Amino acid sequence: MSSLGTSPPRKEDRRLVTGRGRFVGDLQLPRMRHVAFVRSPIAHARITTLDAGPARDAGYRVFTQADLGGIVLRAQSALPSYVETGQPALAEGKVRFQGEPVAAVVATDRYRAEDGAELVEVDYAPLPPTVCAWLPPESPVHDEAPDNVLLERTFDAGDVDATLASAFLTVRRELTTNRHAGNPMECRAGVALFDPADRRLTFWSGTQVPHLVRNMIAELLGLSEGNVRVVAPDVGGGFGVKAVLYPEDVALCAIALEMPGTPVKWVEDRVEHLAAATHARDHRYLLTAGFSEDGTLLALDADVTCNVGAYSVYPWTAGIEPLMAGGLLTGPYKLTHYRATVRGVATNTAPSGPYRGVARPASVFAMETMLDDAAARLGMTGVDIRRRNVIRPEDIPYKMPSRLVDDSGHYDECLTKALDAVGYDDLVEEQQRRRGTDEPQIGIGFACYNELTGLGRAASAGPRMPFRTGHDACTVRINPDGRVTVFSGVTSQGQGLETTVAQIVADALGVGYDDVDVRIGDTDASLWGFGAFSSRQAVIGGGAAHRSALAARTKVLRLAAGLLEADPSDLLIENGVIAVAGSPDVTIGLPEVARVAYLESNRLPEGIEPGLEATEFYDPIRGAFAAGAQVAAVEVDRTTGSISILRWACVEDAGRAMHPQIVDGQIAGSIAQGIGGALYEHLVYDDDGNLSTGTLLDYLMPTSAEIPEMTIGHVERPAANPLGVRGVGEGGTLGPNAVLAGAVSDALGVKIDELPLSPSVVWTAARRAAEDRGVVDEDGGPDRE
Amino acid sequence: MKCAPFEYVRPTSVDDVLAALAEADGEGKILAGGQSLVPVMALRMARPAVLVDVNKVEGLSDLECDDGSVHVGALVRHRTLAEQTAHPLLAEAARHIGHTAIRTRGTAGGSIAHADPAAELPVVAVATGATVTVAGADGDRWVAAEDLFAGPLMTTLDPDEMVTGIDFPVPTRWGFAEFARRHGDFALVTVVVAEVDGDLRIVVGGVGPVPIRARSTGAETLGDELTPTGDLHGSADFRRGLAIEMARRALASAGIQG
Repeated sequence: MSSLGTSPPRKEDRRLVTGRGRFVGDLQLPRMRHVAFVRSPIAHARITTLDAGPARDAGYRVFTQADLGGIVLRAQSALPSYVETGQPALAEGKVRFQGEPVAAVVATDRYRAEDGAELVEVDYAPLPPTVCAWLPPESPVHDEAPDNVLLERTFDAGDVDATLASAFLTVRRELTTNRHAGNPMECRAGVALFDPADRRLTFWSGTQVPHLVRNMIAELLGLSEGNVRVVAPDVGGGFGVKAVLYPEDVALCAIALEMPGTPVKWVEDRVEHLAAATHARDHRYLLTAGFSEDGTLLALDADVTCNVGAYSVYPWTAGIEPLMAGGLLTGPYKLTHYRATVRGVATNTAPSGPYRGVARPASVFAMETMLDDAAARLGMTGVDIRRRNVIRPEDIPYKMPSRLVDDSGHYDECLTKALDAVGYDDLVEEQQRRRGTDEPQIGIGFACYNELTGLGRAASAGPRMPFRTGHDACTVRINPDGRVTVFSGVTSQGQGLETTVAQIVADALGVGYDDVDVRIGDTDASLWGFGAFSSRQAVIGGGAAHRSALAARTKVLRLAAGLLEADPSDLLIENGVIAVAGSPDVTIGLPEVARVAYLESNRLPEGIEPGLEATEFYDPIRGAFAAGAQVAAVEVDRTTGSISILRWACVEDAGRAMHPQIVDGQIAGSIAQGIGGALYEHLVYDDDGNLSTGTLLDYLMPTSAEIPEMTIGHVERPAANPLGVRGVGEGGTLGPNAVLAGAVSDALGVKIDELPLSPSVVWTAARRAAEDRGVVDEDGGPDRE
Repeated sequence: MKCAPFEYVRPTSVDDVLAALAEADGEGKILAGGQSLVPVMALRMARPAVLVDVNKVEGLSDLECDDGSVHVGALVRHRTLAEQTAHPLLAEAARHIGHTAIRTRGTAGGSIAHADPAAELPVVAVATGATVTVAGADGDRWVAAEDLFAGPLMTTLDPDEMVTGIDFPVPTRWGFAEFARRHGDFALVTVVVAEVDGDLRIVVGGVGPVPIRARSTGAETLGDELTPTGDLHGSADFRRGLAIEMARRALASAGIQG
């Protein structure tokens, strides 16, 4: 029986829901020591004194950048305008953001390590900080980039100027989006142990990218790559934040080399996480769009500035957000005349990095805002203007103006299904009934988007980095008892990859789901995997698992054929039993075949080597676009600015859903995260570069109480890869900014130019709208006549 | 973040608590529910030399009703306040404090002594004209709630004094309304309306350093009295607007025409 397409209990849930998960924080090793980092309290300064003497005199081990040999991470890109800058493991000479690690203190426990950190004396000579990426720089963050621009690129297609000049309608908007972050439940964590006997380093790390970490740690520390083992055990959420190799990781491993035989542990707390793990989505969009009278999008001129923070993070560089914004700004809409200048600007704030949806929650908000604005001016509905412009199945393959190729095209179908799911016609009727009354107003918002997933070498993720992320490897090993262990290059931060990989292997090999165990996250066990990012693992890691299982199956059938004296092409394997087609009585069990392969070479058919395993790579070469649409209705309370979500529907083309429950969970979770970013989450720096939202008291995460019931629907159009799957990890985050901004705008008849949609922003917009109508009272709230 | 080193004592009587505070000479801090204190200690923003744990002190966990008033011992948990029926206003306010885990640990005495201008109980205390019992070296003294709060996180208590209980008069009419970003957050604005002995009070939390007792008796004129400041969550105008709206709602639920 096929496992794919069903939702068996997840392999990892027995340990996770019984409290037996194995996270880095749970790791206890003999003689383990704990690390606390001394962090910069100010945003931009020269370090005039760094004196570890008092801390060392008190008995602490203290490490500075000089003690670690001046290790510097360098994120590289071959893009012409890219200005390469370095990120030191620990600050040297100057600090560039509040929270940057300056020194590391080692002690017997974390309490004492923090006591020791207080004894390290650092004097700072402040420099003028730059906080906003679209104001003139105060003082360069890096000497190599006097204007703070680390990367700038222009996408240019067609004739934008002439088309805008002759367009029936032009719309101009300036839109800004709120800096926020992935903020996984488990913060970053690592334990590093160097065994001097054979110069082997083991680094347990909550990383999404263990093989990439191994590669760069070995290079930076001068170790043989085979002598570096990176283990990502259970990881409590990543969302891209943990797809970065951080200076703290490098420092921890370098400290381990200085303290051979002693495991050193650092578990990040939430204050450190909010201050120094990567941020995202701090963007400004200056947009001009031209439309014809019937609402056809004719041209788009964009200037996009992304605040990339103090450093170009490894390996993604400062290009990750601006290039994604420029490459996918036009989303699922047909367009010929497109010009977008995108830039990444360094500031004295925490570095920005990949975060679920990379740039597109912001760029989709920008694009959808332009459509809504045009629709309002043209007297069209939000539905009609989207239908007018979306890429359709008959347009596939569609070359976008940024030259990416869309292979999906089912946007209208997704939108139509989502409209049905929310009961669109009834909502419009109720909305009209409430207009002009003092009841809370209803607004309806829309977003159509395309999620670029599973990128192969032809469209590799990342801005021309020195490697291509198109492939993963997998080993399928049939053990002497006939059960199967899979060593996969994928990693999981909660997505259930152990389960999905087991399903793929079980089906391809012809064994039961319960007979397959999956090992992931250990570079000593798996041959290769780039890790979790760009919604790639179901497509690429899944593809590698599929191919390896088929290769193992081939050997099983060859061996069984010899034992059964049959032709391999006449054999079937189902649920671990090999049978001859047409002769149901002639069978052999996989355990017997496996026993022969390992233990009874006397029975091995001629020409077959012992052992029963296969290792294969897979690269889809191209990517698979996943179409999606979200529609929601909200109620806006004009007296408080609060928003109640009445209905939410999302319909996506996830291709073939291998484990429907996991797919729906990914979509629901990503929408929840998107709603958090649209309504609550905001990392705010003051003008001096101090983080004002340094704890979860001020940085508001949504809880289950803030997330509405939602309807999730599917348009299952198999992609052109062996499993027919499209990535589904990020798409849900792309909609909520646009949906909620559009809905509030629709409810109040106002323009929304900034996010998040806090009660203050909405209240102020409602008040402005009331003033425009001349019905505001003197003291405060909009009049409720 | 982990807290800085401290001494820890756990006396079992009020007298021993006072003795421990006196010995700490201004460097002592009372630990009750710990819901506000422990996080700021973990951030090393509070660094008491001595932590005086009062959770084992006897006789401070009782909730007694007598003639028109409810006496709440300092160690009564918010959860108990939320579940009791003798003082419906207190129950309603307590239901808005944090989340279940916080209400299970947090105490009435701790909330009053902590004097957070955004917390619910100080607003209820001022609105109902509550009396706070304060134990000190010279015996007990009784302080009107509105004389207790001196500023944000500041009271008129001496460092070696301790709140042992609060008497909350039961209002004849009352209304409670607050606005928080998420349920369980500190409110941006809380308004409590309470009528005790024919005296109607409107008290606003979150718009000043302490709960503000309004002179006006209607929502519309309230705005002129308030001088809130803007912060991360919004402008001063927004807070003023919220206060007016919450006053409308509190008055309406009290059955009073604003």
